[in-house]
Amino acid sequence: MAQATLARARPGAGGPPSGAPPKRRRRAGWLLLLAPVVVFDVLLFLTPLGKLIGSSFTGGAYARVLADPLVTRSLVNTLSIALTSTAVTVVLGYVIALVLWRSGTVMRVILFAVVLLPFWTGILVKNFAWAVLLQDNGLVNGFLHNIGLINAPLPLLHNRFAVIVGMVHCLLPYAVFPIFSSLAAIDGRLALAARSLGAREAAVFRRITLPLSAPGISAAGLLVFIISTGFFITPVVMGGPGDMMIANEIDYYARQLTDFPGAAALAVILTVLVSIIAAVYQRVLKAGGQHETL
Amino acid sequence: MSNNFSPVYNRRSLLKAAAFAPLAGLALSGCSTKSSSSAPANSTVTVTSYGGSYNDQLTQTILNPFAKQSGIKPTLLANTSLAGLKAQVQSGDVQWDLVEITAPEYETAVAEGLLEKFDYNIISDKGLPGYAKADYGIKYLSFLFVMAWDERVIPDGKAPSDWAQFFDQNRFSTKRSIYNQLSDSSVLEAALLADGVPFEKIYPLDVDRALRVLGQHPGKDKLLYHSTNQEPIQQLTSGEVALSTSFNNRINAARADGAKLNFTPQNAVLAGDYFVVPKGAKNKEAAFKLMNFMSNDAEAGAAFDKVTNLTLANTPALSKLPKEIADSLPTSPKLAEKILLRDDKWWAQNLKQTEQKFKLWQAS
Repeated sequence: MAQATLARARPGAGGPPSGAPPKRRRRAGWLLLLAPVVVFDVLLFLTPLGKLIGSSFTGGAYARVLADPLVTRSLVNTLSIALTSTAVTVVLGYVIALVLWRSGTVMRVILFAVVLLPFWTGILVKNFAWAVLLQDNGLVNGFLHNIGLINAPLPLLHNRFAVIVGMVHCLLPYAVFPIFSSLAAIDGRLALAARSLGAREAAVFRRITLPLSAPGISAAGLLVFIISTGFFITPVVMGGPGDMMIANEIDYYARQLTDFPGAAALAVILTVLVSIIAAVYQRVLKAGGQHETL
Repeated sequence: MSNNFSPVYNRRSLLKAAAFAPLAGLALSGCSTKSSSSAPANSTVTVTSYGGSYNDQLTQTILNPFAKQSGIKPTLLANTSLAGLKAQVQSGDVQWDLVEITAPEYETAVAEGLLEKFDYNIISDKGLPGYAKADYGIKYLSFLFVMAWDERVIPDGKAPSDWAQFFDQNRFSTKRSIYNQLSDSSVLEAALLADGVPFEKIYPLDVDRALRVLGQHPGKDKLLYHSTNQEPIQQLTSGEVALSTSFNNRINAARADGAKLNFTPQNAVLAGDYFVVPKGAKNKEAAFKLMNFMSNDAEAGAAFDKVTNLTLANTPALSKLPKEIADSLPTSPKLAEKILLRDDKWWAQNLKQTEQKFKLWQAS
C-alpha cells in the first residue's frame, strides 16, 4: 500500500505539476546537493589558501624571496623541466593513444594495463625503481658494461635527464587518456571516405586524425604541464642539487630556513605563474581556432 | 494528500542530512582527537628524534626503563624538526613535548621565543656535565661526524685516516656522499681540514675556501648528497658510493646488523644535539621528569652509551662503563687530540647565510 503511493508520488514530485513554487523548490534542492562540496572546499581548501596568501604578505616575504638567487634558479628549472617533460609526455602519449585506438580488443586490454599499472603505483616506488635501474652500478649500466659497450658507468642518475625520465613515466597516463578519448570520438567513416578518394595513410593522419584529435592534445598538454610544475619527490630522488624545482625550494624555506612567510610567498608565486601560463595557452589555442580545451 | 508530500519531505531532510554530514564528521573527529589527547596531563610524553636505528636504541635504553620507573608512557616519533616545532607553537596546537634539535637550531629557537624554560627543580643538574646545561634545553647528546667507508671496496688497511685522503680523487676514484645540510653536519670543516687548516684555526669558518676545496677535490661530479642520517648507510651498503660522511653511532649500528662498513674517529668533528620543550607543550612536567631520568639514572645512561657509542649528558653513567667503551666515546679524553670541537656559537650566528651559500654552490 505504502509502496504503491510512493511509486505514484515519485513522478509527481519530479514533474512540474502546479506552476513556479515547486520548480524553485526543486532548484533549491539541486543547489543543496552542492552543499557538501562547498563546505568541504571552504573549510579545507579556501580557508587555508586564504591564510597562506595572508601570511605571504607578512615581513617582506616577497622581496626576500625574489632577491634569493636560488629562487630564480628553481623557477627557471621548474619552467624548463615542466616544458620539456610536457613535450616528451605528449608526444609519447600520442603514440600510445594512437596504438591503443587502432589495436584490437585483446591488445587494447593489455596496453591499457601497461598504461594503468604505473598510474596505480606510488610515485616514490616508481622513482626508486628508476634509481635502481639508472645508478652507476645499476641494471642499465651493468648491462652496457657486460656487453662491452662502456668501460666507465654513464651518468644516468642525479641529473636533468633522470628527472625528465622519472617525470614522464609518472605523467604519461595523464596524456594518454585525453588524447585517446578524442581519438575515439572521431567518426571512422571520415577515414574510409578519404581512402575511397585515394588518400594515403599519411594524408589521412595529417588531414583527418591529427586535426580532429587536436583538442585532446591541447587538453593533455595543459593538464600535464600543470601537474609537472608541482613535482617534488622526483627531483629529490632522481635529480642532482642543480635540478631543484620550486616545490623543493618551498620545502627548503619551510623546513630548513623555517621561513614560513617566505615559503607561502613562493607558493603564491608558483600559483600565479602557472595560472598566467595556462590562461595564455588557452587564449592562444582559441585564437588558433580551437575551442575545446580544459 | 499528505501521503503525496511525505516523500518530498523525506527527500529534503535527506538532503539536509547529506549537506551537514561532513560538518558532523568534522565535529566528531574534532571531539575524538581532543578526547584522546586529554588523557590526564603528564601521563604521557611525546618525544621526537631523527629515526632509524637511533630511535630503536633510545627506546630500548632510556624510554622503556623510564616508563617502567615513572608510569609515564612515552611515544617516540622520527620526524623531529625545528620547522615542525615552530609550526606547532605558532598555531597553538602543540603535539610534541620533548624535541631534539641541533645546537645552532637551539640558538634560533631561543631567539625566536619558541621554547619553555627548563625547570631545574624537577631536573637535577647533578648528573649534567658543564657543557650540557642551558636555560631552555639540555645538550643531551654528543656525537662524532666521521668519514665512513665500504669495507668490501676499501679494506680497512687502505682506508682514509684524514679528510685530505677522504677527498683525494687519486687515492679513491669512487663517488663520495656528503650531508646536504650544515645544521647537523660538518662538511665544510672537513673540507678545510683536508686543505691543511689546523684545528685551532678552523673557526671562524672560511666558507668560500671550503667550497673551493670541495669543488677541486673531489669535484662536484664525484659528490652525491644525502639528506637524512640513515641514507648514507643505504648508499654505502647498496654500493652507490664507497665513501660517505656519517655519524659514529650510525656506522656502529649498521656494523652490528652485519653491514661491512667502518669509520675512523681520527679527524672527526665533535658536535651535539639538544632536547627542548616547545612553548605550550601539554606534558611539560612529564618531559622534565624524562630529562631528569635521562641525565641522572646511571644504569640507563650506561646502557645508552654502550649501545650507541654516543655520550649522553649523564656523568654517573661513565663510572659504570667498561674502560674500552669509555675510551671510545665521543667525549673521551683519549680522543680529544684527534678531533675537532664544533663551534656552536659560530654556527648559531652564521647558519642561515652559510646554508644558503652551500645550497647555491651545490646548485650551480
